[in-house]
Amino acid sequence: MVTLEKIAHLALGSSFDPLGAGLYNAEAERPDFDKIAALGKGTRYDVCSSNAIIDDLNNVVKSGICHSFTHDGRCISLFKTLYTNWCTHQCNYCTNSAACSDQSRKFSYAPEELARITLELYRTNHIEGLFLSSGSGADEDSTMEKMVETARILRVRHNFRGYIHLKILPGASLESIREAMELSDRVSVNLEATSQSHMSEMSPTKDFQNDIIQRQRYVRDLMEKITLPAGQTTQLVVGGAGESDQEIFQRILYEYRELGIKRAYYSAFSPISGTPFESRKKEPLWREHRLYQMDWLYRIYRFSPGEIEHAFNDSGFLSNSDPKVAIARKVLELAVDPASASYAELIRVPGIGPRSASKILAFRMHNRISKREDLANLGVRIKRAGPFLKINGWREATLDRWLK
Amino acid sequence: MRVPENFVFYLSAHRGCNDHLLAEAKKMNAEYVELSSDPKAVLIRRMVYSVQAEVHRMRGFVRLKALGFKILYGYLKPEHRIGDWICDHFAKRSPSTIIALGNSNQSWVSLYHNGSMQKSQGAGIEDTIKAFQSAMGAMPGDQGIERIWETYYASQYCPERRNLQSFNHRMPKKALRSAGLSIERNANGCTLKDFFKQE
Repeated sequence: MVTLEKIAHLALGSSFDPLGAGLYNAEAERPDFDKIAALGKGTRYDVCSSNAIIDDLNNVVKSGICHSFTHDGRCISLFKTLYTNWCTHQCNYCTNSAACSDQSRKFSYAPEELARITLELYRTNHIEGLFLSSGSGADEDSTMEKMVETARILRVRHNFRGYIHLKILPGASLESIREAMELSDRVSVNLEATSQSHMSEMSPTKDFQNDIIQRQRYVRDLMEKITLPAGQTTQLVVGGAGESDQEIFQRILYEYRELGIKRAYYSAFSPISGTPFESRKKEPLWREHRLYQMDWLYRIYRFSPGEIEHAFNDSGFLSNSDPKVAIARKVLELAVDPASASYAELIRVPGIGPRSASKILAFRMHNRISKREDLANLGVRIKRAGPFLKINGWREATLDRWLK
Repeated sequence: MRVPENFVFYLSAHRGCNDHLLAEAKKMNAEYVELSSDPKAVLIRRMVYSVQAEVHRMRGFVRLKALGFKILYGYLKPEHRIGDWICDHFAKRSPSTIIALGNSNQSWVSLYHNGSMQKSQGAGIEDTIKAFQSAMGAMPGDQGIERIWETYYASQYCPERRNLQSFNHRMPKKALRSAGLSIERNANGCTLKDFFKQE
């Protein structure tokens, strides 16, 4: 412990200013709150998280920190904003689209201004970093240039160590993508739809193959030379063009396997007044939730696509129940004995996740699993897992077995 | 494994920890604490998780205010003895900046300077700030950041997704109080209807 006077003396003697004293320039223009609100609102359906922050030793740390939650229960960890809400694309679901009859006031940040707000919010621990998306502006490349300039001001001038996620605008040039990747932790191109035909319905001015998929290929290829700590991601509007869950799954498989996507985000379609899609039916939020569960089964639980196909009904949709249970009913013919089952077998039982499966394996090395309480203590959700387990030679009675 | 190798360190910060429990914990290893159903191990595991959870929440929820460009200060009243850890975390995040956290009774101060951490503890945060002001001279205060945050926070809310159960689960009132959050707490206006599932 040292005295407050000594700490004050050390701080005053330090010339190192990580964020730049320019932040406290009295002449600096005060922020336009209407602009912050309008451009913030433009990204409220975008999903992101700072799930790959960099630690002091420059290692990628897996989990980020949520600095707040909105009243819809979603985490706020980044300053998520548009650079501009002026857009020449005619996306039929988007409030910023040129096709929207309810044209709100158009705003745009200046790179300096946006960097200053980000730094102030970061320094006071409101956020972990910046998520920057944008309308196309006059043209994609000049808007991308401004977005990159903002990231450059943060990284180079202010030595900003927080997280930066930049959206790659549809049709952006290879050079602007390369610059964005050099400065950010993660980049993403929004897929929005699953195919050219669905894209034509949702956004007639965008070319699915050229504007979206080709940009994702650029990112994949550039990642061989440029380190992008948190990789590239993508996002889909679920149900905007009536696509089935199976179509979404097939598209996502392609994205994971061929384009090296780190993860996909799903956003259930919600009609916005003034847009051409305003009279379309709102997609239920559970559909988004079930798609995330399906995604986890593929990415984290390592289920094969063939197994996941069991979760879809004849029309190619997931039902509003846990897809893992639907798969287990079809795949697990015999009850699993937790005393002898492998990791791959354990993880296929509903109520047992990667962590509890690992715990069961560790526990088994020195102990015997003889009762349900042992499993409950290891984090297994025993009510869900019970019908699929055989513990000490005993199985739970189920309605199916009674009928047989 | 969720129980860290240095779990005794976390346990020692728990408000309910005593010498007897610490001595018991030192005889165990992390794997045993994580997997065992021994009531002592279960108790220690819960206490370690509780401290870890509070550290994580406070790192996210504590808000800092700038005093010039050399001091950041904020409100913190943790349940466990983690005040100096949180302070060190912010000091490393903003090197060469004094971090002062605390409440009316207690305060923690950290400065990460030239690769080493300088620490101090004192009485209430107001006294600590006054001491710095007298040592360092007058400094400009609030830069209007609260209003920027309030505007941005409101812009991110999707009314059609309103889910107060989820909000309350992730931002429990206890954590809001400990970190002195006011914007999130005050924005939580709701009616009985919100607690019943909507068709």
